[in-house]
Amino acid sequence: MSRRVYLDHNASTPVHPEVLAEMLPYFADVYGNPSSIHAFGREARDAVERARERIARFLGVAADEIVFTSGGTESDNLGVKGLALARGRGHIITSRIEHHAVLRTCQYLESCGFEVTYLGVDGYGMVDPDDVKRAIRPDTIAISIMHANSEVGTIQPVAAIGAIAREHGIPFHVDAVQTFGKIPFDVHACGIDVLAFSAHKIYGPKGVAGAWIRKGTRMVAIQHGGDHERRRRAGTENVPGIVGFGKAVEVRAREMGPEAARLRALRDRLWDGLRARVPEVRLNGHPTERLPGTNNVSFRHVESESIVLGLDLKGIAVSAGSACTSGHVEPSHVLVAMGVPLDWAMGAVRFSLGRGTTAEDIDYVLECVVPLVERLRQALPTAAS
Amino acid sequence: MRYSQVLVDHFLRPRNAGLMREPDGVGEEEYQGCGDLARFFLRVRDGRATEVRFQAYGCGPTIAAASVTSELARGRPVEELVNVKGQEVERALEGLPEDRRHAADVAAGALRAAALDYLGRRGRHV
Repeated sequence: MSRRVYLDHNASTPVHPEVLAEMLPYFADVYGNPSSIHAFGREARDAVERARERIARFLGVAADEIVFTSGGTESDNLGVKGLALARGRGHIITSRIEHHAVLRTCQYLESCGFEVTYLGVDGYGMVDPDDVKRAIRPDTIAISIMHANSEVGTIQPVAAIGAIAREHGIPFHVDAVQTFGKIPFDVHACGIDVLAFSAHKIYGPKGVAGAWIRKGTRMVAIQHGGDHERRRRAGTENVPGIVGFGKAVEVRAREMGPEAARLRALRDRLWDGLRARVPEVRLNGHPTERLPGTNNVSFRHVESESIVLGLDLKGIAVSAGSACTSGHVEPSHVLVAMGVPLDWAMGAVRFSLGRGTTAEDIDYVLECVVPLVERLRQALPTAAS
Repeated sequence: MRYSQVLVDHFLRPRNAGLMREPDGVGEEEYQGCGDLARFFLRVRDGRATEVRFQAYGCGPTIAAASVTSELARGRPVEELVNVKGQEVERALEGLPEDRRHAADVAAGALRAAALDYLGRRGRHV
């Protein structure tokens, strides 16, 4: 095996060389605690605040509205629990296709006495803003809808949902982990109040993320301790990570536009190649309102993990839409919510492209996946002789 | 790689995959937990399985387990095949991760079912 092709960028991305270079001094040279008042601490504090400024500028918000966290999951927990617990009781609206960071947080809040409506989606994985409007009750205290789904890439109509939230005076939380730094959006025009976003999906380091909290939004902290992050998130800041995050955002501001156009073309090249050469395939997700680098493809009757293994043996990294854990397989909750039939959902594979993906990579993937699926289908119980 | 070279080889180049016309014995096993399924076909001469074919649906280890099972069954007396257990298949694959052991059980169960089907047709219940 010589060639290696990484098509799992929605899971994580390699750290950009410029990001790594900017981070390195903050491990052993500038190592003070940003909360310390001596020179060592002040140097670290300056670095953290520079990164905060960079991210705030990118989002078009005030720097003191940005809170650094340890990851997208923590940002989602802070957003949803922070809004709910500040209100004590009430009703939350979310969707059935959210990341587990939101879904399981909502389930936890249900166990605490909150009520939650989980909205369905259409066949493309899109939430209908009218469903949001219909679900609003007098005691609705928060709406949480993701910007783009990590599995199928469908981009949600957050501006329309945000307008409804604003009209009813309900705070709107958006999990933008998959869109931040990939496609442009305006938090103000979209009526967003709390935003979750992460570094390692955009060529930054793992272990650092952010939450933007619109000034005046009533929230409580969910992690308690020191007075860090203006008492909104206790814990010593991950200085090298935050520095890297700031740099990653600066690079994205430069590269995001041209890269999106390039990835859309490659994504379509892959899908066009698959549907031309493999029988019984379908694209899961919206045909156009979709993340630039995401193709979720179902190979009917084939088990997705066998495709992941077959491609892994060819040096290609993709992810399975169904996961077999300890002999129990669960089709993706997103595909189930979209109404994808089981014989298709079990064969779903996500190809997520990124800045290093080339046309040659796509052609190599096609070269490998076509005979692999053919061979797997030959052994199927449904196959003719 | 969490799988043995033997497993990978059988996954990449499954032996004896496909349907058999008019088999002397056929049987299948499904693992309810995840829907993995194997089906075996036997051609029997003088009480021995002279040809063994399989069809399988499931993750990579299930396909490899069915393939290796088809090899370990060929040439053996059918009465012996009703005693093939998942452990024998797992040994032939040089091991399976804990969460994939069901792959060996599915393949062994389908082979046993095919052997019993043959013996049943002959009126030789065991």
